[in-house]
Amino acid sequence: MSGVWPLMLRDLKKWYRNPVFFFTGLIQPFFWIALFGSALSKLSSIPGVIPAGSTYITYIVGGVLTITALFTGMFTGTNIIFDRRLGPMGRFLSSPITRSSIVFSRVFSAILRILVQSVILVVAALLLPNGLIIPHDFSILDGLVIVVAIILVSLIFSCMFSVIAIRMREMNTIFGIVNLVNLPLLFMSYAMFPTDLMAGWIGDVAKYNPVSWSAEAIRSVILNGSLTAAQWGDVGLWLGGLAIIAGLMMGLTYLMAETEIRD
Amino acid sequence: MTEDVSEKADMQDKDPIISVNSLTKVYKGETKPAVDAISFEIKEGEVYGLLGPNGAGKTTTINMLTTRLSSTAGQALVAGIDINKHSMNIRKIIGVVPQDMTADEDLSGLENLILVSQFYDIPKKIAMERAEKLLAMVDLIEAAGKQVREYSGGMRKRLELIIGLINEPKVLFLDEPTLGLDVQTRAVMWDYIKTLRKDFNMTIILTSHYLEEIDALADMVSIVDHGKIIITGSPAELKASLKGDIVTLGFQNDQDAEQLKRYHGVLEVLPSLPGTLKIRLENADSELPALMNYVFEKGITLKTLSVQKPSLDEVFLRYTGRSLREEAPADRFKTMINTRRMRRT
Repeated sequence: MSGVWPLMLRDLKKWYRNPVFFFTGLIQPFFWIALFGSALSKLSSIPGVIPAGSTYITYIVGGVLTITALFTGMFTGTNIIFDRRLGPMGRFLSSPITRSSIVFSRVFSAILRILVQSVILVVAALLLPNGLIIPHDFSILDGLVIVVAIILVSLIFSCMFSVIAIRMREMNTIFGIVNLVNLPLLFMSYAMFPTDLMAGWIGDVAKYNPVSWSAEAIRSVILNGSLTAAQWGDVGLWLGGLAIIAGLMMGLTYLMAETEIRD
Repeated sequence: MTEDVSEKADMQDKDPIISVNSLTKVYKGETKPAVDAISFEIKEGEVYGLLGPNGAGKTTTINMLTTRLSSTAGQALVAGIDINKHSMNIRKIIGVVPQDMTADEDLSGLENLILVSQFYDIPKKIAMERAEKLLAMVDLIEAAGKQVREYSGGMRKRLELIIGLINEPKVLFLDEPTLGLDVQTRAVMWDYIKTLRKDFNMTIILTSHYLEEIDALADMVSIVDHGKIIITGSPAELKASLKGDIVTLGFQNDQDAEQLKRYHGVLEVLPSLPGTLKIRLENADSELPALMNYVFEKGITLKTLSVQKPSLDEVFLRYTGRSLREEAPADRFKTMINTRRMRRT
């Protein structure tokens, strides 16, 4: 895996050197939280949806963090196609680095970018009026749950879309796929709304959507602070499910990259 | 390496650094092989040319030898290492300058060199020293800190060349190193390639569809067409194998052509344009006066007369039945991008 580190640095360099790309990436989560938080803030007045004393932004932070990871992760594949079409892929393929390091470097740099975006998003949510309220008994362990959930979601979707891009030449194809799946993934999940407000069948689908698991796990620690044993059980189940899918996706990415990646 | 005879004899005894045996590539979904059971050997320190039109299978051959592409059948050893078994070990000891641009446009020339040096686990300090030497060699020191997007076509090609040299390779693969470059820049690239050969005794495999390039650089050349090697030899040998020079005569009357064909020195009549006659003579330098006498004796009026010494173009025409110069460039997205980049001078 000798190529992972230099290629990851290269990817990050290209990110912070491109001011438009860099700042839009940072501002985007702020928009998410501000616009969704305001547009749907009336939801907090529906009894039973959001605990007393909390805010809608506190409720959706988990969802927005997950969606940021989802969207940034989905675009990882496009970078692989760019490398193929602009030439660097040819250099990587004739260098003594593993094929999978070409892909995993992109995945890991996407995770790092997502974590930076997440920090900004949380700070923005805290600063907004009627914004994020962190419970007083919020612990480091709770913070860890958030980080782990974000990393797992990023892994799942950046690996998934890298696999799609491994043999692809056409940029438009992957854009099409991203646009096709992002809304279903978003709206058939608990990212923005509670189950009670969803049409029955969508609620059923949302139960099995990994986006829901991450959103719920983060929401659980942010709304409740110190969790009860039963709540920890749920969080463990969600994170476990995410970890299994992330593991499968990484395995698939490794196999596909080693055997199928092409110039 | 010098042009010394004893050294040449020395080279004959060496084991081949590359030996290719019935190497074949059939692309997925195609029935016709892109490379069809080719075999050849390259000795250490040799500059070996693969000459052929676009789509002949030159790049596919290079891609298999550099382990960028898997082979369908056959074997090849690069420095004694099997390309199908230990591809990673081969990649460590070879340098590749692909046909397409591979440098990252968003990074500077120096950053590109250092990035690639990291693929070979070259310590940073050594990599910096090498990078500086290489940048100086191709006159890119001043541009080293600039983003590659600002480079001209010639600067990019020079950068590509030294990126392929950062690991001090035993064998260097150059795929169309001067494609799309103007005549002056091409001459500069040739000088660099000659330097590599002379100062580092590097084995170089060169593909090209420029005949003059192969003629200027290669010790040995294989003419490749439709995935097969048509003939192999030194450029001088191949030209000598043609036996004779071509004389083209333009005349006024068609019956003159019949007269001219009957001249005793004509080895062969070649296809030519109407109003002209193309004949092959053993040696134009010594036979032309006799031919002129014959022309005056028969009362033939010549409009034009030209003598063509054998070139690799003739060799190509002779062995493949068509001219290499008729080939149009391959129509691919990358070619277009590269051409566009080249124009930015």
